[in-house]
Amino acid sequence: MGNGKRGPAAGEMLQGTLDMLILRTLVMGPAHGHTIAQVIEHTSENALEVEQGSLYPALHRLEDRGLVSAKWGVSENNRRAKFYQLTPAGKRKLAAETSRWRRMTRAIGLVLDEHRPG
Amino acid sequence: MNLRRFFGRKAKDAELAEEIQSHLAHDEDLRRARGVDADEARRQARVKFGGRNTVRDTEWRYRSLPWVESLWRDLKFVVRSLAKTPGFTIIAILVIAVGIGVNTAVFSVINTVLLKPLIFPHQEELVDLMNTSPRGPRGGANVPKFRIWREQTSIFSKVAGFDFGGAGLNLTGGDKPQQVQGVHVTQQYFSMLGVPVIQGRTFTEAEDSPNGGRVVVLSYALWKSRFGGNAQIVGSTIQLDGQPYLVVGIIGKSFVTDTPTDLYLPFQFDLNTQDQAHYFTVAARLKPGITYAQANAQLKLAADEYRRTYGPRAMGPQDGFGVVSLAEAWVGDARESLWVLMAAVGFVLLIACANVANLMLVRASGRRRELATRAALGAGRGQIVRQLLTESLVLALTGGLLGLVLGATGVRLLLAMAPTYIPHVGENGTAVVPDMHVLMFTLGVSVLTGILFGLAPAISASRPNLVAALNESSSRSGVGFRNGKLRSALVISEMALALILVIGAALLIRTFMKLQAVDPGYDTRRVLTMAMSISGDRFQKTAGVAQLVRDGTDRLTALPGVTDAAAACCLPLDGGFGLPFNIVGRPKGDAPFTGGGGYDTVSWNYFNTFKIPLLRGRMFTEQDNGAAPGVVIINEALAKHYWPKGDPLKDRMEIAPGAGPAFAEPARQIIGIVGDTRSRSLDSPPDEMMYTPIAQMPDGMTALNSRVAPLMWIVHTRVEPHSLAAPMAEALRVASGGLPVAHIRTMEEIVVLNTSRRRFNMLLLTIFGASALLMAAIGIYGLMAYSVQQRTQEMGIRMALGAQASHIRNMVIRQGMVLALIGVVIGIAGAFGLTRFLASFRSM
Repeated sequence: MGNGKRGPAAGEMLQGTLDMLILRTLVMGPAHGHTIAQVIEHTSENALEVEQGSLYPALHRLEDRGLVSAKWGVSENNRRAKFYQLTPAGKRKLAAETSRWRRMTRAIGLVLDEHRPG
Repeated sequence: MNLRRFFGRKAKDAELAEEIQSHLAHDEDLRRARGVDADEARRQARVKFGGRNTVRDTEWRYRSLPWVESLWRDLKFVVRSLAKTPGFTIIAILVIAVGIGVNTAVFSVINTVLLKPLIFPHQEELVDLMNTSPRGPRGGANVPKFRIWREQTSIFSKVAGFDFGGAGLNLTGGDKPQQVQGVHVTQQYFSMLGVPVIQGRTFTEAEDSPNGGRVVVLSYALWKSRFGGNAQIVGSTIQLDGQPYLVVGIIGKSFVTDTPTDLYLPFQFDLNTQDQAHYFTVAARLKPGITYAQANAQLKLAADEYRRTYGPRAMGPQDGFGVVSLAEAWVGDARESLWVLMAAVGFVLLIACANVANLMLVRASGRRRELATRAALGAGRGQIVRQLLTESLVLALTGGLLGLVLGATGVRLLLAMAPTYIPHVGENGTAVVPDMHVLMFTLGVSVLTGILFGLAPAISASRPNLVAALNESSSRSGVGFRNGKLRSALVISEMALALILVIGAALLIRTFMKLQAVDPGYDTRRVLTMAMSISGDRFQKTAGVAQLVRDGTDRLTALPGVTDAAAACCLPLDGGFGLPFNIVGRPKGDAPFTGGGGYDTVSWNYFNTFKIPLLRGRMFTEQDNGAAPGVVIINEALAKHYWPKGDPLKDRMEIAPGAGPAFAEPARQIIGIVGDTRSRSLDSPPDEMMYTPIAQMPDGMTALNSRVAPLMWIVHTRVEPHSLAAPMAEALRVASGGLPVAHIRTMEEIVVLNTSRRRFNMLLLTIFGASALLMAAIGIYGLMAYSVQQRTQEMGIRMALGAQASHIRNMVIRQGMVLALIGVVIGIAGAFGLTRFLASFRSM
């Protein structure tokens, strides 16, 4: 948490953003916590580097809300791990959130373009 | 949702720990695969992961309910502290249980009768159709009115007429004949009320027309009791009054009307009749969205049309039609009595609260050191108030639980004592069951009670003077000024509330005693009455009924022990008819009639049997029959009203003029004046009455009478009348060719029934008043005992300084008396208001 100046730290990251990243990750198929953490880290080019532990409360809240389901299984390393999977409700939520996010970023992009000097 | 999270959290935490381990293991695998050595890989994985316990904490907090935990802590503490003073705890819980118990009992009844009259779907759309006049709305309908109401399709979706069984029918064809209550209804009755049909169907439009055939719908109760619940009965015929009736359907168990009904018959109105007799009631279902105001506006037009068609004699210029809520009309005046009862039990609960508050105050001052110590150790004021409030809530809820049990028992007692007047309670009050409403009510009352009696002590105890409380040996310190004042106020209000209840009870007792002393104008001792349903074909003409009355009277009088016997359409205090009349030769100005009065058709021996005195003229004789000129006897009240100076015996009366050809009869000579009777109720002034001989009724009137009301037999005996019931029933069975009698009651029983509501209210209010007084006395005793105990030291010093024991005694008594007296003054003022309040209810 020492890098507060570089950008929003994991703890301060908007709750919804982390949720969306998790859901997005699970589109590819069921995954356990470690994989999710890795994928988020790589796909976001480390911009959204999270303290990996903070992933779990977010995952469990999603599970409580019925957006993901979870069950224990055996990982590629032959270790016990808890696998998370998108539920239909989770898919709907992701679709809604994604399009909302796109609209928002487009709007922001338009505003920024408009005020770009030159 | 939160709760599920809360209860699963231990398991979840363990799972999370395992998940974290798994995560770390995977991360180590990854790092080792990149060539990092084992120890370094483990270190890096842990650093990367962050605080493991922070994560578990976050989750644990997410899955916790802070208030549940602190409540649980408080509860454990409170239960421990209450258990330390079992005497206080038990008394407090019992007092609350009684208070809440009586409230639950009365509320259960109110809930069923007033708040839950949801017997019919969309009940708010159901209305009773009324005849309006400057004297207020009255129910009742004739066929022309029914027809015109039925045509108001812009406001009504359904309109149905029904009667209340009246005569009863004789169900034969089984082992023994049985008198049953058959209610006549029109075709839309069932669909209007949303009545469930479990077998077959209800009547068709064709079946409810003249010559629609003999069809019947059975009630669930009759179907079960008489036909053993056999579904095959639908489509077969049963014998009613000797005629075969086709059973077309069976009504579901959930449909219960307050009029006990065994079966339903179609009215089969001839809608073209001009018949003006009112002998049924009409209800309707408003179209969705139609307001009462809209309905009444439309009915005003309908009334104008009716007046145009049938003339001002059928409907005066001031009269009209209107609607009232069906639920309201059917609950009637039980409503007021029940609310008065509710207020009375509310008082009892308030007194219970005051009592427990008092106990709590006493207890709190005994615990001043404990509370001060806690405050000194850092407990905030809020925490102490919360603890004390939790304590009172625990007491209140425990008391409430016990009260619920008491209430469930109490309501059975209440209904066992209750007269028949409480509508909607079903057979033996089976409809009164504790439901969600009652549970919520008891819970709400319990919580409210807890706060009410807990708040004052809690606040007053939370302001401890720390230094004083800790330094004094608290048990001997004097009664704190604030607490003393509060306690006195509580005792005063208890006293006042109890007094109001007691005075209320005394008022009802006085009214009741007065009522008992009223001379009804007829003999009620050793008079037995019996009802005989004569709806069969043989009794559609006057001659047949007159024959039955003659035979029956002869056979009854022949029984040893019988002094007199008579028959009549109706009994005093048991309902009756009213008809308008004209006095021949007397101008009646603008009014349609000269006047009106109660109308009883009686056999010649009626007045002797009831010992109603003849004041002038002569009684009826057996010779006043259909062949003889028409005669009528009036009572003194009617004579005084319409002949303030003249002589009624010189005049002739036209009864029910213009009621249609079926009821037309020549004017009757007034032949006698008899004493007044109280026939509607004992506390209303004597009705103005006309009596005509049964043997002289127009056939149309007899047919109607036989259909809507049973013939009443009245027998005066020398011995206890019930002992002769069996031979009398046998004599009448022979005389009538096999008809049973029902409703065998003495006149005294009818009087008791008539006054039972007052007796019931009086009894309950007396019980409540007495228990309130007892509670108030306990409250005063508690306060005095406590203050004396607190002042032992002071009294010792006084005595050492030379005060006599009597002085001390007087001082203590004076203190108590002052409180009691203030309470009495306030109570009397309150009771004064109550008297005026009660006086506004005639029904009490």
